[in-house]
Amino acid sequence: MSELGALALRFALPVALLGFAAGIYAGVARRSDWTRVAERSVLAVAAFVGLSIAALFYAFATFDFELAYVVGHSARSMALPYRLAAVWGGQAGSLLLWLAILMGYSTVCILSQRHQNRALMPWVSAVLLVNAIFFLVLLNFVTNPFEKLPAVHVVSDGNGLNPLLQHPVMMIHPLMLYMGLVGFAVPYAFAFAALVTGELGNTWFRSTRRSTLVPWFFLGIGILLGGRWAYEVLGWGGYWAWDPVENASFMPFLAGTAYLHSVMIQEKRDMLKTWNLLLIGLTYTLCLFGTFLTRSGIVQSVHAFAQTPLFTSIFLGYVLVAAGAFLTALLLRRGDLGSGQRLESMVSREASFLLNNWAFIAILVVVFTGTLFPVFSELLLGERMVVGPAFFNSIAGPLFLFLLFLTGVGPLIAWRRASLPMLKRQFLWPVVSGTVTLLGGWLMVRGSLGRYTPTDVYGLLAWGLGAFVIATIVQEYTRAIRARVRKGEENAFQAFFTLLRKNQQRYGGYIVHLGVVFVMIGVAGSILNEERLENVRPGQDIEMNGYRLRYLTAEAIPEQHYGGARARIALYDHERPVGVMVPEKRMYWLEQQPASIPAVHSTLREDLYVILTALENDGSATLKIYRNPLVNWIWFGGFVFVLGTVAIMWPHPPRHREPQAE
Amino acid sequence: MSKGMQIAGGATVIALLIGWFAWTQLEGGASFSYFQTLDEFQSVSGELVGRQARVHGYVTQGSIERDVPARRVRFRIQNTPPHAGGSPEGALTVVYASLETPDLFQDGAEVVVEGVLKAGGLAGEFHADRVMAKCPSKFEADPVPQQAVF
Repeated sequence: MSELGALALRFALPVALLGFAAGIYAGVARRSDWTRVAERSVLAVAAFVGLSIAALFYAFATFDFELAYVVGHSARSMALPYRLAAVWGGQAGSLLLWLAILMGYSTVCILSQRHQNRALMPWVSAVLLVNAIFFLVLLNFVTNPFEKLPAVHVVSDGNGLNPLLQHPVMMIHPLMLYMGLVGFAVPYAFAFAALVTGELGNTWFRSTRRSTLVPWFFLGIGILLGGRWAYEVLGWGGYWAWDPVENASFMPFLAGTAYLHSVMIQEKRDMLKTWNLLLIGLTYTLCLFGTFLTRSGIVQSVHAFAQTPLFTSIFLGYVLVAAGAFLTALLLRRGDLGSGQRLESMVSREASFLLNNWAFIAILVVVFTGTLFPVFSELLLGERMVVGPAFFNSIAGPLFLFLLFLTGVGPLIAWRRASLPMLKRQFLWPVVSGTVTLLGGWLMVRGSLGRYTPTDVYGLLAWGLGAFVIATIVQEYTRAIRARVRKGEENAFQAFFTLLRKNQQRYGGYIVHLGVVFVMIGVAGSILNEERLENVRPGQDIEMNGYRLRYLTAEAIPEQHYGGARARIALYDHERPVGVMVPEKRMYWLEQQPASIPAVHSTLREDLYVILTALENDGSATLKIYRNPLVNWIWFGGFVFVLGTVAIMWPHPPRHREPQAE
Repeated sequence: MSKGMQIAGGATVIALLIGWFAWTQLEGGASFSYFQTLDEFQSVSGELVGRQARVHGYVTQGSIERDVPARRVRFRIQNTPPHAGGSPEGALTVVYASLETPDLFQDGAEVVVEGVLKAGGLAGEFHADRVMAKCPSKFEADPVPQQAVF
């Protein structure tokens, strides 16, 4: 089976090369027969790659310890789901997964688009295949998952997988992230094809908007799941640390979000064509660059992979080619990209979208600069310097607040030019709700904050602005629902779904916004975070903000694959017994790796998060306790984000659609 | 004024605003720190006394002392990992005023300490306010001891 997988990878390369050449020829000579060759090559490569990754899954499922990769990333003691997920537990398998997802997207794209976009298809196929060729070269010649151990080695068991990765979230988080990062190849390919052919009318991006939404959706989920995993597994009480690897996935998300907004202006007002193309190119480049950052270990990070210079230089070259080729095509076409309209007023929806884009790009610049600070400072100053989370929080914080403000303003303000009575009608109640929340929030938390830091002020403002945005959304829905109900044909419940169906983009978008606002409210809750490090003996109590934790005892862990100790702590909330918290400090025997498993008491108001830092030699226990207010709003917001995006993407039969009146 | 000029002007204004803001926010200096391997750190440490720095090294075998009553951990870091034959000679003493050490913090662990070198230079103590232990990543089972890539 593994031979088959290796062979499939080998055969896929020449087919991809052939298809690429066919696509270019078809595009230049306008030969539709060669277009078909290119398209079929994409499908053939997809089939080969599918076979290959299936073989790798099979190897993991059947303990094929002839393969170095299987030995390195699994063990007999691992359950089947974790063994299958171990396919992307390492470098080579991750690259194969990336390629497989790319070919999956390409197949869907070819099959669904080939009748609508004839002129673009040869170039789309060629661009998609270039990406495939790159990964095929890496997989075949640099890091092959089907490489066998030397025959003298007979291995009866594998080395196992990093136990931190053996977690349900970790089985899907990389998958989601890759579905996100890779998927942007499709809009990139379409944009590239549009530039090459000069078919820059409004059709290409209409057909790619959905193909942008899908990867954007997965990337968003991937980022949130990554935070959730860090929170549950890494045991430092937080979910986001501005780690280079986190930033690597966040940057394309920022660029992609900017694009999803600015493309609406192009759709409605025929403006910003060049800008939109630039954003698509930037988003995909950042996807590749993010993968490069993670995989090359060029910036020190908790994830840093040791890498061969060969791999690093090939990958960096690829990123540069992807960016450079796109930019060149854009420059050559800039004459054809005139704008149909001009911005009429700064108090208009166009202007608010424009500002939104500036804010996203500004955040992107901040994150990029901070992430690569060690590299830049070494080049410029000769000294390697790093920046801490404070850098990101204090600079990007106000920009996020500005975005939150626009989230409320943008959708309610008129296209072209807003009038004063209109502004009053739209914003009276939201402004009142925001102000009341801001003041109320301030009164409530005043006592718990000491000297105000800028971050505290940002947090308070985030709550005020969050309430402002929620009020605008509620107002939009109630007005629209009331209008439908007044017509007498529907009740409020039916009207809600009619709205979602008739104007998916707008009303689904509101739900996405609502999710994002919840996430921001949860993040802002961190200004009230409290942490304590306590050393206690059995029977001793720790008091914390109405909670009382009594350390009862410690005991050894009687598990097969890991040992270590667990502490038992009785938790009381205002003297009412809540339960026993059992944080663990594990040692995984096979992998020789320690791990702290926190005990968490979760409510909608806050989490109480306890880590067993150490059992000291004198019989005491050192406990780290975090109180994280509002943190669950983040995960709840993520859920709402998913609902909203699904509402936008939900396929409705065309006959139900009415012309979008907006 | 042409459109290109307008955009360039707008971008400059925004960049300046962010730059100014960044400058005022970060003047305190705690956000930036110098990042070096122990070797590099030792060669320039004279200048670095009193400056925020991050130093990368490996925990010397048997050097970890947890002082529970004083809530302090004291250990030494050396330049090459002990399991790769690195000698503890010239190791830097680190004092970490907390008992909260990461899971992976143990003899031989690859660590990054962040803090300030106190007067007395290398013979003195490095007062760390953060200790990070690196994931000995099983992402890639690496038979060769990893070299620092940054």
